[in-house]
Amino acid sequence: MTTLALETEGLSVSFGRFRAVDGVSIQVAQGELRVLLGANGAGKTTLMDLISGRTRSTAGRVLLEGRDVTNQREYRIARAGLGRKFQIPSVFGGLSVRQNLEVSLVRHPGVFANLRFGLGTTDRQRVSEILHLVGLADLATADAATLSHGQTQWLELGMLMGQSPKVILLDEPTAGMTQAETAKTAEIINGLRGRHTLLVVEHDMAFVREIAERITVLHLGKVLAEGSVAEIEANAAVKAAYLGTQEISEC
Amino acid sequence: MAELSRNYRVWAYLIFFAAILALPLVGDEFWLNRVAKYLCYGMLGAAIALTWGYAGVLNLGQGLFFGLGAYSMAMSLKLSSHTSLQQGSDKPIPDFMLWNAQPGAAPDLCCITPGSWLWLPFQSQWFGVAMAIVLPVVVATILGKIIFGQRISGVFVSIISLALVLLARLVLVDAQPITNGFNGLTDLGFLQVFGAEIDPYAVSTYYIIAVILIVVLVLVRLLVATRSGLVLQATRDSQTRALYLGYDVPAYQTFFFTVSAAMSGLAGMLYVLVAEFASPSFLDLAFSVSMVVWAAVGGRGSILGACVGAILINTIEAKVSEVEQLVEAWKAIIGLIFVLAVIFLPQGLAGFAHDVMRRIRERRQPAPTLNRELRQ
Repeated sequence: MTTLALETEGLSVSFGRFRAVDGVSIQVAQGELRVLLGANGAGKTTLMDLISGRTRSTAGRVLLEGRDVTNQREYRIARAGLGRKFQIPSVFGGLSVRQNLEVSLVRHPGVFANLRFGLGTTDRQRVSEILHLVGLADLATADAATLSHGQTQWLELGMLMGQSPKVILLDEPTAGMTQAETAKTAEIINGLRGRHTLLVVEHDMAFVREIAERITVLHLGKVLAEGSVAEIEANAAVKAAYLGTQEISEC
Repeated sequence: MAELSRNYRVWAYLIFFAAILALPLVGDEFWLNRVAKYLCYGMLGAAIALTWGYAGVLNLGQGLFFGLGAYSMAMSLKLSSHTSLQQGSDKPIPDFMLWNAQPGAAPDLCCITPGSWLWLPFQSQWFGVAMAIVLPVVVATILGKIIFGQRISGVFVSIISLALVLLARLVLVDAQPITNGFNGLTDLGFLQVFGAEIDPYAVSTYYIIAVILIVVLVLVRLLVATRSGLVLQATRDSQTRALYLGYDVPAYQTFFFTVSAAMSGLAGMLYVLVAEFASPSFLDLAFSVSMVVWAAVGGRGSILGACVGAILINTIEAKVSEVEQLVEAWKAIIGLIFVLAVIFLPQGLAGFAHDVMRRIRERRQPAPTLNRELRQ
């Protein structure tokens, strides 16, 4: 059996008496695109925080390519091969679009190793390639702070391509996007598929249908169901939890 | 377009260098001595720009590093002063130590006052010169490791640095027997460089300081142009994003914080050479805040801009101080300049110059400009 790209074992965190994530175990295979679904407060973003080292877990383990990275510092987990896009886009506003991508090509993470000028030819080519892939080639010299919301999201996706981690976490990549922008985002994400293992939090079911293979549904910090798009859509428990139909019909 | 924009920046540096090297042609030694002090302030302004503009770390206690540099040099120069050799011992002893000596204490640097042995290695002038850089570097590295390692950022770094400089000032004033307290170190000797004396009022001394400033500005400008400099600016805009790319953000912040401290220590050392004193006023809060004002007016996003801002404001201050009625008003004037700069020139004079250059460039090539504005 090949090693899983990402695995969590009984991952939990409590904030006071509230268990935001409660014994979540998921296995994501190499090259898989997994969608995390769940209502607000189900623990999706917290789960991503635990995996990426932003929040320290109180129990359980995180394995990245079989390596235990539980509760390590963010930059160590990042170097171990994890990339993450936040719900609120986070780019380097004072730098140009091209510079943002140049920074994302992490050859050496340390400060002394980077006391050098410019990029190598292959890296420069890679930056141009990414600029075209995310459709920002015309804006290469613009300050990232001047980009629209959708463009900022694409730039961040582009930076993930530059970083080229084995596993990518995407937190609501289409939040606040127009339909056209969402379609383009789906295209970019489909382009990442295969080369990277992806774990995507998403609400928009139309978008989920477009990209998803397998879906894991979280509810109140626990895994409620897991399966293909069709299976999940037909799952009664998911309908009840996610759409709240049960409560409505019971009332 | 990028070529032109890079070119005018290079030209700005070259014009500035030529200007400060040409000044001895138009002024006498006394005036040059004063300008040399401003050049030291210019180096301080550039140090502020490096941390504030490039790293987003507003240090309100930069005077600490300037003071460390100044006192290290002044201790060595104090020991080589004539008065220190005329205190009834064959070895040099600073005059104030005799005044502070306990009755019956041996007139020797090792034990005349409690802690006076700290002065022993400063009998070598090169030790003083070296310490002027080494001490700020060591202190800044330790501080940086603690502050940035704990992910402290923004206004909290400012508060910590502010508190530290005031604390250091308190200790300095309190340690009267080894620092001469409020009075500071005056009546200093000259630095001997390969047999030649560094006379504060010699034109050659002015040139030495001007050339050191030029070298420092060029090195720092190249430093921020490296990939590390780019990553540093990235950490300024989003620490989180930089961390998630795998960069060791605290290491970057600490490194550039330390470079800035070294520049400040060097500035303090050179300042003592021309001003011939070191005093606790270097660690005054007002002085550290002034440095921030210089950088804000000159442009914190530009190493050269902040340097020019420091020289400019100090020149204006000197002119204003010549008018008796305005001496007291100076603090109000500088406050007003700061407020106006923040409101109307958020990127300082350098940002203004940058905008002017861009407009000139856009007038030459109207078509792509229109396009770009529309997209934005």
